[in-house]
Amino acid sequence: MTNSITVVDYFLPGEEITDIKSKERQTIIGPGLQRDKNKPNSLVVTQAGRLHFRAPNTYWIENRKTRYVPKRGDLVVGIITKKSGDVLKVDIGSAELANLSTLAFEGATKKMKPEVEIGDIVYAKLLNAYKDMEPELVCVDQYYKAGPLGVLTNDGFLINVNLKLVYFLLNVSNPLLGTLTKKFPYEIVIGLNGKVWMKANKAKDILTMCRVFEASENHSEKSISDTCRGQK
Amino acid sequence: MASSEFPQLKCELGVLSKSDGSAALAEGESVMLASVCGPIEVKLQKLLTDKTSVECCYRSKAAEGIQDRFRETILKNICETALMASLHPRSSILVNLQEMQNGGQLLSCAVNAACLACLNAGVDMKFTFAAVSCFLNKFEEFSFVPPINENEVKALFVLVFNSTTGSIIASHTEGSFTTEQFQHGLKLCREQSQFVFKFFKESVINFDKDIE
Repeated sequence: MTNSITVVDYFLPGEEITDIKSKERQTIIGPGLQRDKNKPNSLVVTQAGRLHFRAPNTYWIENRKTRYVPKRGDLVVGIITKKSGDVLKVDIGSAELANLSTLAFEGATKKMKPEVEIGDIVYAKLLNAYKDMEPELVCVDQYYKAGPLGVLTNDGFLINVNLKLVYFLLNVSNPLLGTLTKKFPYEIVIGLNGKVWMKANKAKDILTMCRVFEASENHSEKSISDTCRGQK
Repeated sequence: MASSEFPQLKCELGVLSKSDGSAALAEGESVMLASVCGPIEVKLQKLLTDKTSVECCYRSKAAEGIQDRFRETILKNICETALMASLHPRSSILVNLQEMQNGGQLLSCAVNAACLACLNAGVDMKFTFAAVSCFLNKFEEFSFVPPINENEVKALFVLVFNSTTGSIIASHTEGSFTTEQFQHGLKLCREQSQFVFKFFKESVINFDKDIE
């Protein structure tokens, strides 16, 4: 599937895309695009970036944003900033703090509350993210199991990276994390909001990873992949 | 009027590490540094339930004055029209501008820097905007480059254009002039704005390429 993504061209806000190649005129649009009500079958660009197209009918704009806008279903890393009653307020890097109920943890009940303190880092899923409401997080899946979600241990390290790097790291075919695995063992949690939690045996390894991510923000995907292959 | 007579544009994007988007723009002798943050948390008194509140802060090199507040208002109005404010209600977008060097066309430089910073930040916009300053000297000649002697300026037009329709979204004039002169200045500025838009696109693409 990943092979069928084509990069069309660079666009600025306000420019129109008229030659839409999607079948049966049903286009799925991603970030940076809006539909034009007056002209069917044409799109208006709202963010500067490269237009990507995936057959048969998906279009989106990719650029180097750092600010996260919550989307439903995203897996994010957040920091607990407030505790009031049954509700925790979590900083996920968006405009507003997200709500996380203390009942939304595996095995939690009104009497058995999870052990969460202010400053703890959680890996959670966005249950809903409407623009008119505060985003809501959960730490369980639809079967009330935690899986990988929940509170992350305090011996990790949290950094912020830009969103393009996040998509790059989360790509299964990306060789960067695999190359690092060969050097030293580590644990990593990558949130779609640009927050990355890491844990390794030595502080030196953590620093190496920080430097790797910092450097990869300023390189293209191709040059990173080539460098990684050279390491083998 | 040839494009070579227009003050040279130079810019650098992503100059600040902490803001979401930033741009340093030199328009002739004027230099501006712009930074855009957003959508971010909003103060309760500035909260709007149906759209993003745009906040603008202009800092001049010298002591703060009434001129700065005036420029803030113009910039705020331009940004409010250009940004897709309805996408992120109950949040705010901060536009900060720092004057680095005054060469006569501060306002147009500030507007252009703000636009580049918005593009760099990836804020949703309906269109891009470009400002052009045009000077009318006491010999009734039009020029995009400010005269060396400030007393020679008879009138100054600063016009801001929309990239999609080419219409005016803001206009600021100083001095005295006739309607015909304004119309002529408007025509010159509109032609010139095309070069500014082209410059914007080139700069943004170059910034993307530099990283590749």
